[in-house]
Amino acid sequence: MDAMQELGNIGAAHAATTLSQMISSPVEMSVPKITVVDVAELANHIGEESAALVVFELQGEIPHGGYIIFYISRKSAVYLTNTMLGLTDPDRPLNEMDESALLEVGNIMASAFLDATAELLGFIMLPSPPVLTIDMAHAAMQSLIAQMQEDIDEVMLFSTELFCAEHKIDSDIIMMPETSTLKTFVERLENLMKPS
Amino acid sequence: MIGIGEYHVGSVPMMAIGLGSCIGLTLYDKDRQIGAMVHIMLPESSGRTDRPGKYADTAVLLLLNKLSDLGCQKSSLVVKMAGGACMFEYFGNNLNIGERNAEKVRAILAENHLRISAEEIGGKRGRTVAFYPDDGGKVTVRSADGVAHEI
Repeated sequence: MDAMQELGNIGAAHAATTLSQMISSPVEMSVPKITVVDVAELANHIGEESAALVVFELQGEIPHGGYIIFYISRKSAVYLTNTMLGLTDPDRPLNEMDESALLEVGNIMASAFLDATAELLGFIMLPSPPVLTIDMAHAAMQSLIAQMQEDIDEVMLFSTELFCAEHKIDSDIIMMPETSTLKTFVERLENLMKPS
Repeated sequence: MIGIGEYHVGSVPMMAIGLGSCIGLTLYDKDRQIGAMVHIMLPESSGRTDRPGKYADTAVLLLLNKLSDLGCQKSSLVVKMAGGACMFEYFGNNLNIGERNAEKVRAILAENHLRISAEEIGGKRGRTVAFYPDDGGKVTVRSADGVAHEI
């Protein structure tokens, strides 16, 4: 489990660095959490609040590896794109420019996350083209879980909070691997930790 | 609050929040003012029996049996459903799980000679569905930015 934690840590740390570069402000990260969530309890973790989710399928050596998600509340999303686009109104609706900006941020962060984990694991995971949804967070996560390859009762979420106090931006980067992908992670990490 | 794959039978208000491709199905007995709601995630149980509320094929029968145990007649039931959206067209090998969930629910209801009196299915948006057996079996649907409306 420590090694799994490290996997989330290294990915999130790289994602935080790229976010910090994009908004030219310091970004702090929480301790990465690994949570096993029963689908019946999903609403206790991710509610019906309106959020922007930039979603990527994990591809590459594992064809349908699960998902990586850049999650940001609707309010923080406006603060983030305002910072990027040089705007100031915190109450405006999100438009196409914001959507492009969010896709771009998500894209760069997911790539940074997966580059870092690939280095640790020794196999490549690539992000699919991103899909953005701005809607009830629970509805989006639920739809992704329903689309997973296996009929599962529990999902494992690798989540790390990334926040920027200066611009009041609070976001999460979440990896939700398929069961088969998790097995591969465990095997690779065990191999890494064997004394050679 | 009814989580994914869960159900409830009774007369208290019930709610399933943030339905994407999931379906909230409600059965209301207009003679007895009680009802049942289930939060369905997938169309087929494929033989699994441990979470009957999670699958369309087993969930419909589950609710019918529970209500029948309480003495409800099929002819008194008002059936409504909402959900079944397709939020991520691009992913998941183009399985439109929301639509398949709805089709399966319709098929099992038809086999049981039950008609759907109202539904709000499909589209791309998430929904929160609330059911009030204590208020004439009222069902309301709310989206992320919207006010709740009755179906």
